[in-house]
Amino acid sequence: MSDAERRDVAGVGDAKILLPDAIKRGSLVHVRALISHPMDTGLFRTSAGEPIPAYFIKEVSVAYGDEQVARFEWTSGISRDPYVAFPIRATREAPLTITWKDNKGGVYTRTEQVRFG
Amino acid sequence: MRETADISRRSFFTRALAGVAGVVAILAGDRPATALGVPSGPPQGDDEPPEQVKRVLEARFGKRPIRKGHVQLDIPEEAPDGRVVPLFIETDLPMTPAEYVKGVHIVVDHNPDIYLAGFQLTPALGAASIDTRIKMRRTSYVRAIAETSRGELWYAASKVFVTLNGCG
Repeated sequence: MSDAERRDVAGVGDAKILLPDAIKRGSLVHVRALISHPMDTGLFRTSAGEPIPAYFIKEVSVAYGDEQVARFEWTSGISRDPYVAFPIRATREAPLTITWKDNKGGVYTRTEQVRFG
Repeated sequence: MRETADISRRSFFTRALAGVAGVVAILAGDRPATALGVPSGPPQGDDEPPEQVKRVLEARFGKRPIRKGHVQLDIPEEAPDGRVVPLFIETDLPMTPAEYVKGVHIVVDHNPDIYLAGFQLTPALGAASIDTRIKMRRTSYVRAIAETSRGELWYAASKVFVTLNGCG
Protein backbone atom coordinates (compact mmCIF):
# COMPACT_ATOMS: atom_id res chain seq x y z
CA MET A 1 0.00 0.00 0.00
CA SER A 2 1.40 3.42 -0.92
CA ASP A 3 1.77 6.18 1.65
CA ALA A 4 -1.07 8.08 -0.03
CA GLU A 5 -3.43 5.11 0.16
CA ARG A 6 -2.53 4.50 3.76
CA ARG A 7 -3.52 8.07 4.56
CA ASP A 8 -6.82 7.75 2.71
CA VAL A 9 -7.97 4.74 4.68
CA ALA A 10 -6.89 6.26 7.99
CA GLY A 11 -10.16 8.26 8.14
CA VAL A 12 -8.78 11.77 8.47
CA GLY A 13 -10.89 13.75 10.88
CA ASP A 14 -12.29 10.83 12.88
CA ALA A 15 -12.38 12.35 16.34
CA LYS A 16 -13.23 11.35 19.85
CA ILE A 17 -13.75 13.21 23.12
CA LEU A 18 -13.40 11.14 26.27
CA LEU A 19 -14.98 12.28 29.51
CA PRO A 20 -15.08 10.39 32.82
CA ASP A 21 -18.25 8.36 33.45
CA ALA A 22 -19.23 9.98 36.71
CA ILE A 23 -18.87 13.75 36.85
CA LYS A 24 -19.58 15.65 40.05
CA ARG A 25 -20.76 19.24 39.94
CA GLY A 26 -17.85 21.58 40.52
CA SER A 27 -15.19 18.93 40.07
CA LEU A 28 -12.13 19.18 37.85
CA VAL A 29 -12.77 16.91 34.87
CA HIS A 30 -10.00 15.41 32.78
CA VAL A 31 -10.93 15.87 29.10
CA ARG A 32 -9.10 13.80 26.50
CA ALA A 33 -9.44 14.46 22.79
CA LEU A 34 -8.11 12.48 19.85
CA ILE A 35 -8.36 13.03 16.11
CA SER A 36 -7.06 11.05 13.14
CA HIS A 37 -4.82 13.29 11.09
CA PRO A 38 -1.48 12.70 9.30
CA MET A 39 0.11 15.92 10.63
CA ASP A 40 2.56 15.95 7.72
CA THR A 41 5.40 18.44 8.20
CA GLY A 42 6.03 18.87 4.47
CA LEU A 43 9.62 17.74 5.00
CA PHE A 44 9.26 14.02 4.26
CA ARG A 45 9.02 12.16 0.93
CA THR A 46 7.15 9.02 -0.03
CA SER A 47 9.09 5.82 -0.67
CA ALA A 48 8.77 6.75 -4.40
CA GLY A 49 10.56 10.07 -3.71
CA GLU A 50 7.50 12.31 -4.03
CA PRO A 51 7.39 15.17 -1.51
CA ILE A 52 4.54 14.87 0.99
CA PRO A 53 2.99 18.35 1.35
CA ALA A 54 2.39 19.88 4.76
CA TYR A 55 -1.02 18.80 6.07
CA PHE A 56 -1.75 19.41 9.72
CA ILE A 57 -4.27 20.64 12.30
CA LYS A 58 -3.44 24.29 12.96
CA GLU A 59 -6.21 25.33 15.32
CA VAL A 60 -8.38 23.69 17.96
CA SER A 61 -11.17 25.42 19.82
CA VAL A 62 -13.00 24.19 22.88
CA ALA A 63 -16.48 25.41 23.79
CA TYR A 64 -18.34 24.56 27.00
CA GLY A 65 -21.97 25.55 26.59
CA ASP A 66 -21.90 28.96 24.91
CA GLU A 67 -18.47 29.85 26.24
CA GLN A 68 -15.20 29.39 24.38
CA VAL A 69 -12.93 28.11 27.13
CA ALA A 70 -9.72 27.31 25.24
CA ARG A 71 -8.06 27.70 21.89
CA PHE A 72 -4.96 25.86 20.75
CA GLU A 73 -2.57 27.00 18.03
CA TRP A 74 -0.65 24.08 16.57
CA THR A 75 2.08 23.44 14.01
CA SER A 76 2.96 20.14 12.35
CA GLY A 77 5.21 19.58 15.38
CA ILE A 78 2.25 17.94 17.14
CA SER A 79 2.41 14.17 16.58
CA ARG A 80 0.31 12.29 14.01
CA ASP A 81 -3.24 11.57 15.22
CA PRO A 82 -3.09 14.41 17.73
CA TYR A 83 -3.93 13.72 21.33
CA VAL A 84 -4.51 16.46 23.85
CA ALA A 85 -5.80 16.33 27.40
CA PHE A 86 -6.72 19.24 29.64
CA PRO A 87 -8.90 19.95 32.68
CA ILE A 88 -12.24 21.67 32.81
CA ARG A 89 -14.24 22.79 35.84
CA ALA A 90 -17.65 21.08 35.59
CA THR A 91 -19.81 23.97 36.79
CA ARG A 92 -22.91 22.96 34.81
CA GLU A 93 -24.44 20.35 32.55
CA ALA A 94 -23.71 21.56 29.03
CA PRO A 95 -22.29 20.31 25.74
CA LEU A 96 -18.52 20.29 25.36
CA THR A 97 -17.64 20.89 21.71
CA ILE A 98 -14.18 20.64 20.20
CA THR A 99 -13.46 21.89 16.67
CA TRP A 100 -10.25 21.03 14.85
CA LYS A 101 -9.23 22.98 11.73
CA ASP A 102 -6.45 21.96 9.37
CA ASN A 103 -4.29 23.95 6.92
CA LYS A 104 -6.27 22.68 3.91
CA GLY A 105 -9.64 23.94 5.12
CA GLY A 106 -10.78 20.74 6.81
CA VAL A 107 -13.02 21.35 9.84
CA TYR A 108 -13.89 18.53 12.22
CA THR A 109 -16.23 18.84 15.19
CA ARG A 110 -17.23 16.57 18.07
CA THR A 111 -19.56 17.19 20.99
CA GLU A 112 -19.94 15.32 24.26
CA GLN A 113 -22.41 16.17 27.00
CA VAL A 114 -21.11 17.05 30.43
CA ARG A 115 -23.68 15.29 32.62
CA PHE A 116 -23.61 14.96 36.37
CA GLY A 117 -23.85 11.44 37.75
CA MET B 1 -3.13 6.04 24.37
CA ARG B 2 -2.29 6.67 27.97
CA GLU B 3 -4.34 5.18 30.80
CA THR B 4 -6.99 7.38 32.36
CA ALA B 5 -5.19 9.48 34.91
CA ASP B 6 -6.93 11.62 37.45
CA ILE B 7 -5.13 14.97 37.48
CA SER B 8 -4.42 15.09 41.18
CA ARG B 9 -3.14 11.54 41.16
CA ARG B 10 -0.91 12.31 38.19
CA SER B 11 0.48 15.34 39.98
CA PHE B 12 1.06 13.30 43.09
CA PHE B 13 3.01 10.65 41.24
CA THR B 14 5.08 13.20 39.39
CA ARG B 15 6.02 14.96 42.58
CA ALA B 16 6.63 11.71 44.41
CA LEU B 17 8.98 10.59 41.65
CA ALA B 18 10.79 13.92 41.67
CA GLY B 19 11.25 13.51 45.42
CA VAL B 20 12.65 10.02 45.04
CA ALA B 21 15.00 11.18 42.31
CA GLY B 22 16.24 13.97 44.56
CA VAL B 23 16.93 11.58 47.43
CA VAL B 24 18.73 9.14 45.14
CA ALA B 25 20.88 11.95 43.77
CA ILE B 26 21.83 13.05 47.27
CA LEU B 27 22.66 9.50 48.35
CA ALA B 28 24.77 9.10 45.23
CA GLY B 29 26.59 12.27 46.20
CA ASP B 30 26.57 13.54 42.64
CA ARG B 31 25.39 17.03 43.44
CA PRO B 32 25.69 19.40 46.33
CA ALA B 33 22.85 20.09 48.73
CA THR B 34 22.20 23.60 50.01
CA ALA B 35 23.45 24.76 53.41
CA LEU B 36 20.22 23.50 54.96
CA GLY B 37 20.71 20.10 53.39
CA VAL B 38 17.70 20.66 51.16
CA PRO B 39 18.11 19.85 47.49
CA SER B 40 17.99 22.99 45.37
CA GLY B 41 15.99 21.32 42.61
CA PRO B 42 16.83 18.82 39.90
CA PRO B 43 20.22 19.18 38.24
CA GLN B 44 20.02 21.85 35.54
CA GLY B 45 22.20 22.11 32.49
CA ASP B 46 22.79 25.45 30.86
CA ASP B 47 19.40 26.06 29.29
CA GLU B 48 20.20 29.55 28.01
CA PRO B 49 18.34 29.69 24.68
CA PRO B 50 20.41 29.95 21.47
CA GLU B 51 20.05 33.09 19.32
CA GLN B 52 17.40 31.73 16.95
CA VAL B 53 15.27 30.70 19.93
CA LYS B 54 15.73 34.10 21.58
CA ARG B 55 14.40 35.72 18.41
CA VAL B 56 11.31 33.48 18.43
CA LEU B 57 10.68 34.23 22.11
CA GLU B 58 11.14 37.95 21.61
CA ALA B 59 8.79 38.01 18.60
CA ARG B 60 6.08 36.45 20.72
CA PHE B 61 6.70 37.82 24.21
CA GLY B 62 8.66 41.01 23.58
CA LYS B 63 11.32 42.02 26.06
CA ARG B 64 9.47 40.66 29.10
CA PRO B 65 11.63 38.46 31.35
CA ILE B 66 10.90 34.72 31.26
CA ARG B 67 11.68 33.41 34.72
CA LYS B 68 12.23 29.85 35.85
CA GLY B 69 9.58 28.43 38.15
CA HIS B 70 5.87 27.67 38.64
CA VAL B 71 5.90 25.39 35.60
CA GLN B 72 6.45 21.68 35.69
CA LEU B 73 7.47 19.97 32.46
CA ASP B 74 7.19 16.21 32.50
CA ILE B 75 8.92 14.73 29.43
CA PRO B 76 11.20 11.70 28.96
CA GLU B 77 14.95 12.34 29.03
CA GLU B 78 15.38 9.97 26.12
CA ALA B 79 13.10 9.74 23.10
CA PRO B 80 14.10 6.86 20.81
CA ASP B 81 11.34 7.86 18.36
CA GLY B 82 11.20 11.60 17.69
CA ARG B 83 7.81 11.21 16.02
CA VAL B 84 6.06 10.71 19.33
CA VAL B 85 7.37 12.34 22.47
CA PRO B 86 4.78 12.55 25.25
CA LEU B 87 4.81 15.65 27.39
CA PHE B 88 2.81 16.96 30.31
CA ILE B 89 2.87 20.56 31.47
CA GLU B 90 1.30 21.87 34.63
CA THR B 91 1.63 24.97 36.75
CA ASP B 92 0.93 25.92 40.34
CA LEU B 93 -0.18 29.39 39.29
CA PRO B 94 -3.67 30.66 40.22
CA MET B 95 -6.55 29.89 37.86
CA THR B 96 -9.24 32.33 39.00
CA PRO B 97 -11.07 35.06 37.05
CA ALA B 98 -8.90 37.65 38.86
CA GLU B 99 -5.61 36.01 37.93
CA TYR B 100 -5.06 33.05 35.65
CA VAL B 101 -2.78 31.33 33.18
CA LYS B 102 -3.87 32.64 29.81
CA GLY B 103 -1.38 30.70 27.75
CA VAL B 104 0.89 27.67 27.81
CA HIS B 105 3.52 27.53 25.08
CA ILE B 106 5.83 24.77 23.81
CA VAL B 107 9.16 25.73 22.28
CA VAL B 108 11.69 23.21 20.90
CA ASP B 109 15.11 24.72 20.18
CA HIS B 110 16.12 22.49 17.26
CA ASN B 111 12.81 21.79 15.54
CA PRO B 112 11.87 23.17 12.08
CA ASP B 113 9.10 25.12 13.85
CA ILE B 114 10.78 26.35 17.02
CA TYR B 115 7.45 27.61 18.36
CA LEU B 116 5.62 24.29 18.36
CA ALA B 117 2.26 25.04 19.94
CA GLY B 118 0.35 27.51 22.05
CA PHE B 119 -2.60 26.72 24.28
CA GLN B 120 -4.79 29.67 25.19
CA LEU B 121 -6.67 28.98 28.38
CA THR B 122 -9.38 30.62 30.48
CA PRO B 123 -10.28 30.38 34.19
CA ALA B 124 -13.20 28.09 33.22
CA LEU B 125 -10.68 25.26 32.99
CA GLY B 126 -10.08 25.45 36.74
CA ALA B 127 -6.41 24.45 36.39
CA ALA B 128 -3.65 24.94 33.85
CA SER B 129 -2.33 21.66 32.55
CA ILE B 130 -1.77 20.21 29.09
CA ASP B 131 -0.97 16.69 28.07
CA THR B 132 -0.01 16.00 24.45
CA ARG B 133 2.54 14.34 22.14
CA ILE B 134 5.08 16.22 20.07
CA LYS B 135 7.64 15.57 17.34
CA MET B 136 11.34 16.27 17.73
CA ARG B 137 13.98 16.47 15.03
CA ARG B 138 17.03 15.88 17.20
CA THR B 139 18.38 16.19 20.72
CA SER B 140 17.24 19.54 22.03
CA TYR B 141 15.89 21.54 24.90
CA VAL B 142 12.12 21.58 25.18
CA ARG B 143 10.72 24.66 26.90
CA ALA B 144 7.30 25.02 28.49
CA ILE B 145 6.29 28.63 29.10
CA ALA B 146 3.26 29.81 31.06
CA GLU B 147 1.91 33.31 30.50
CA THR B 148 -0.32 34.81 33.17
CA SER B 149 -3.20 37.24 32.71
CA ARG B 150 -0.92 39.85 34.30
CA GLY B 151 1.67 39.27 31.60
CA GLU B 152 4.20 37.39 33.71
CA LEU B 153 6.14 34.61 32.00
CA TRP B 154 7.38 31.48 33.76
CA TYR B 155 9.18 28.48 32.29
CA ALA B 156 10.67 25.06 32.74
CA ALA B 157 13.14 23.49 30.31
CA SER B 158 14.27 19.93 29.84
CA LYS B 159 16.83 18.40 27.50
CA VAL B 160 15.56 15.42 25.54
CA PHE B 161 17.91 13.01 23.76
CA VAL B 162 16.37 12.02 20.44
CA THR B 163 17.43 9.06 18.31
CA LEU B 164 15.00 8.97 15.36
CA ASN B 165 14.21 12.27 13.61
CA GLY B 166 10.45 12.80 13.81
CA CYS B 167 10.20 16.01 11.76
CA GLY B 168 11.97 15.34 8.45
